[in-house]
Formats: sequence, C-alpha cells, structure tokens
Amino acid sequence: MSGGTAIKVENLGKKFIIGHRLEGDLRGSFSQRLSRLMARDGGGTREEFWALKDVSFEIKKGEAVGIIGRNGAGKSTLLKILSRITDPSKGRFEINGRVSSLLEVGTGFHPELTGRENIYLNGTILGMRRAEIRKKFDAIVDFSGVEKFLDTPVKHYSSGMKVRLAFSVAAHLEPEILIIDEVLAVGDAEFQRKCLGKMDEVSKGEGRTVLFVSHNMGAVESLCTKGIVVSQGRVVYQGHVTDTVRHYLQMTSSEEVSNDRLNEHVSIEEFSLSSTIVRSLEPLDLTLKLVSDEENEIHGLAILFYNSLNDRVAILDLREGLRSQKSSKVEINATIHSLPFIEGEYKLGVFVKSRLCVGDFLNLRELIVEGASRNFTPYARKYRGLMELKADFKTR
Amino acid sequence: MAPEPRIVVDASKRRFSLNLKELLDYRDLFLILAYRDLRIRYAQTFLGLAWAFLQPAATLLIFTVVFGRAVKVDTGGIPYPVFAITGMTAWTYFAFVLNQSGNSIVASQEMVKKIYFPRLVIPLSKAVVGFVDFLMAFAILFVLMAIYRVTPSPNIVFLPGFILLTVVSALAAGIWLSALTIRYRDFQHVIPFLVQFGLYATPIAYPSETIIDNLPRWGTALYYLNPMAGVVEGFRWSVLGGAPPNAFAYLSFGVMAILFVTALMYFRRVERVMADIV
Repeated sequence: MSGGTAIKVENLGKKFIIGHRLEGDLRGSFSQRLSRLMARDGGGTREEFWALKDVSFEIKKGEAVGIIGRNGAGKSTLLKILSRITDPSKGRFEINGRVSSLLEVGTGFHPELTGRENIYLNGTILGMRRAEIRKKFDAIVDFSGVEKFLDTPVKHYSSGMKVRLAFSVAAHLEPEILIIDEVLAVGDAEFQRKCLGKMDEVSKGEGRTVLFVSHNMGAVESLCTKGIVVSQGRVVYQGHVTDTVRHYLQMTSSEEVSNDRLNEHVSIEEFSLSSTIVRSLEPLDLTLKLVSDEENEIHGLAILFYNSLNDRVAILDLREGLRSQKSSKVEINATIHSLPFIEGEYKLGVFVKSRLCVGDFLNLRELIVEGASRNFTPYARKYRGLMELKADFKTR
Repeated sequence: MAPEPRIVVDASKRRFSLNLKELLDYRDLFLILAYRDLRIRYAQTFLGLAWAFLQPAATLLIFTVVFGRAVKVDTGGIPYPVFAITGMTAWTYFAFVLNQSGNSIVASQEMVKKIYFPRLVIPLSKAVVGFVDFLMAFAILFVLMAIYRVTPSPNIVFLPGFILLTVVSALAAGIWLSALTIRYRDFQHVIPFLVQFGLYATPIAYPSETIIDNLPRWGTALYYLNPMAGVVEGFRWSVLGGAPPNAFAYLSFGVMAILFVTALMYFRRVERVMADIV
C-alpha cells in the first residue's frame, strides 16, 4: 500500500486574464472582439496573471502534507485544480487512488430539506454511493449529535448544528486520498477539537494520504508529516513539517511592519519578541512601545495570548511595568521566565485602556511554541491539556 | 481487487469526450438532485402539487376561449380542448426544462465552485423533474379524451418515440442555455421570451396549416427550424391521428439533432472553466 506515488504534480500553472471582464454580457464580448480586431495586435489591455506557476511536487501514499502560505498565495487554486474543479492552464498531474476533496463542509445543503435528506444529498455530492451512506448513516448521526432533529428542516437548525451535521458527513468519507481546505475554521471550539481528533485518526491511524491546507499552524503541525510553502504561485519550500512551519514563520515575520496604528492618535512603535519560535518552559522577552500624538493617560495595558482555536489562554498584565500613567510614549520590556504554553501556534494581541484609545487589538504577532525538551517521549498532544507545568521532583 | 482509480489531467492534451461512463457513475447524484428539486418545488405552498395541474389547465382554458370559441380555429373535427392539450403536453415539458435548466448552473454555482462532478448532471436532473409536469399534462389529456369520447389513433405506438424526441429537444435547448448563461447572463432574460414566443410559433393552439398555407416556401422552412414544431405535430399525430406530419417536419428533427450534439460539445468546452467564470 504505502511507498507508491499518490499525487504527482508537474509544472502545474494556472493563468487568469485580468483587466477585462470574464463574465461579461453579450455586448461586452462583442465590443471586445471588435476592439481586438481593430487593434490587430490582440488587444494590448489584457493582462495575464499566473495564480500558480511551475508547481511540482510528489506525495507518497500514506503521507500527510500541509500546504501553507498567505492569502492569495495560490493554495486554493492548487487545491481546486487537484480537485478537478477547474482546469490547469499548463502542466499535468496524476492522482492514484480514490480521492475525496473537501473544500467546504455542507456543500449543497438545502435549508428546506430535513437533516436526514441533507445527509444523503451532501454525502452523494461528496461522492458517496447511496448504499454507502445508508450503511454509515447511524455513525454519521451519532457523531453529529443532532439525532433529535433529524426530521426537521435544516433551516431551523442553529449554525453550529448545521456545521456539526455537515462535518459528520465529511468525516465519514473513506477515500484513500483526502484533500481538505480550511474546513476547520468553522464550528465551535469543542467540535473543532473533536474534528481534529477525527482527522488525526483518519490521517495517521488508517495510512491515508492527506493534503491539508490551513492557516492554522498548530493543526498543520499536529496532523501533517510534511509541508509545502506556497508563495506568489510558486512552491518556495518543502520538507519536514516542523521545518516548513519554521521556514514559513521566518518568511512572514521578516515581512512584518513594526508600525501598527491602533487609531488616529495611538500606534505601536515596536512590539517584538526575542524569538518567534520558542520551546515550552523556556524564557521569552517581549518589548512593547506605544506612542501617541499627545499626552495619553493609560489605565490598562496587557498582552493577550490566543491559541490556534482562538481561545484566550493567558494575558500578561503590563500595568506593573508602567513607570507613569501620563505620557505620550510608553516602553515596556518584560521577561517571561518559563513559557507555560503547550506546543502550537499562538497569536498575540494588545489590550489598551487609555484616554485616547480603548480596545483589544488582536492578531498583531505570531508565536510558535515547540515541545519542551525532555529525555522521554511525551504523551500525545491531545492528552496533555493546554499548559506545560514546570516542577522539580525529589525522589526518596 | 478492483484496479486502483487513476486520474490524469494534462493541460497540453485535451480532447472532446462525453465520458458517459463517468456520468453513469454519478447517477445517484443525478437522482438525488432531482429528488431535491421535487421536494423543494412545492415546499411551503398551500396547493402543492396541484400547481403542476393548474398551470396547463389555465392556459388551456384561455386557448379554448380565444382560439376555440372566438377565432374558431379549424381543427379538422377534433374537439378544440383535446386538440390544444395534445400540443401543450409536449410544450409544457419543453418549457419547464428550458426554464429550469437555463439557469441551473448559475443557481448551483456554490456547488460548482466547491466540488467536482460532471456538470451535465445538473441540467439532466432538471429533465427528470419535468416529468411531473409531463405526467400532469398527460392526465389532463386523457381525461379530456374520455370526456369528448375521442379514441386514440393506432399511431399511438409511435408516441414513446415522440416523447423521446420531446426530451431530446428540451435537453438540447436546456443544455445550450445553461452553458450560455454562465458566460452571458443575458440568456436569463432570453428564456422567458423564448418560451412565450415558442408557445405561438409552435402549432400548439392551432394546426400548422393555418400558418404555412399563407407562407411562401422559405417561410415554411423558417417555421420548421423550430425543433418543437415537428415534435408537437408528430406528438399530435400519434395521439389523434389525421394527416401525418409534412416533409418539413424532418427539418425540425434535423435542427434538433444538430442542436443536441452541439449543445453537448459546447457544454463540455465551457465545463473546464465553469468554476472560474460562473
């Protein structure tokens, strides 16, 4: 089973024509043709845009590969091509094995139909046979936890219920190759965790090939073994998942601007970390400089830490570090002696309560935490909660 | 063990293929989409399925009053309501499929952008949904034939053939329009116009002779460029008998065949970029 090639991509390219309307009306297309005829050179105003260019990679059977990159880097285009939703303009690819692609949960869900009917509808759209759905029906309902409302039209469902039902259908696909895009970005945190667990099971337990696109570095790291970084339509890095995530974060942090405006009066002059990649239980230095255009009265100031599921895991209260409350420039250096977070990706924000500016300002910095160094193999991440506790042991 | 499925997509090697096998593999999807449309069509309506009956019945009433009583169209001795409903049975189906499939891809764009399946499944499923209206119109036809004591002609053995031709012409037009609407939304506005125009440009409310007897040969040829002109006449001939369709009807069938083949070819071509332009 394993060892063979699951997906092979060679010099794949996708071209879009911008600068003229793609979905124009009849008159538009006619006058375009006319003007192209007049211009004789094929109309100079058309501009080619390569959303993907010369993309090549190979994925072996049983590998779980994460594709990361900024918005607009071409990840989704790549996934759409591999899912055969759209055709490539150049190059070729081959896929060996039964493939399912999941670019969205609940594709085709109809609000007027009942939960039961939507399971069949959505399952069939995802490529399952009716007999197959019938066989898995109870398991799907069980996983979703909406059995009481199975015969209620989905339009009366809460959005959370809808997502749970949709994801349950998707989770019971049993392809050899699974292509997933950002589907974990929906649903409540608890269900997301359940889904991550199920995905984990899918990708590791059953030797399945997974191609996973996500912004969630934590999810990529825990699900995937390999990674590919896409930037401006090209593959710029591929390798082991940890190295890939590290490469990506270095790439993005060097592009980050240091000057963040909070509002018209106050801006962050500096918000820096001693390192964007730290190990659990190791020290981390933070520097925050706030400047305002006139004297500001600061009543509250904190750094906010969010994990990849968007739970606020901690705050660092900076009030103690404030030398004076009234000033137009504040600079605080703080040292966390032992960072207690479990490995994963964290986002940092700032809370400010002042005369000129009040609010939570999120997603300002990213921090990747790596597993603590130990001399034994740690338990799987899902068993270890959210925090890493530092302790000394005395043996008697 | 079944051979492992293998997908190869190569941008430099493209050729036209209908890929009927794949279409067959997606028959469950095709059926469930038809089921969905049927279920939601009359959801939250008070009259429900009765609408499928009321629509042709109301048109028939108007035709009977205007063409049967006021204008007194010569139907060759056939009671007017029976005459008109035979034409309308085929036309109702054609109009329904045209209306539904024309806009079908645009209406399912969320699906088209998120998942792969042979896109032909969408307009094809509309052709299945239309059978409900087809059956309703047939029911009216048979009831009226019983009321007016009109016995079916022996030509009725050809009826399945003409039903098939009705489906093919509906699909030909429907597939063309569904593919065209993706790129040019103008066709959304063309469809109601086509349906209304066709209702009078097809020998439904009147026998074709009343029109073509006053037309030069080229005018008659033009009249029969409408594929439904031949189909409706053949349909009526197989149910009620009378003079067989004239030689021009073959022109209709020819146009239909060309439309059907080109529809499939054009659709396949647009299919590749459908998700990008819809």
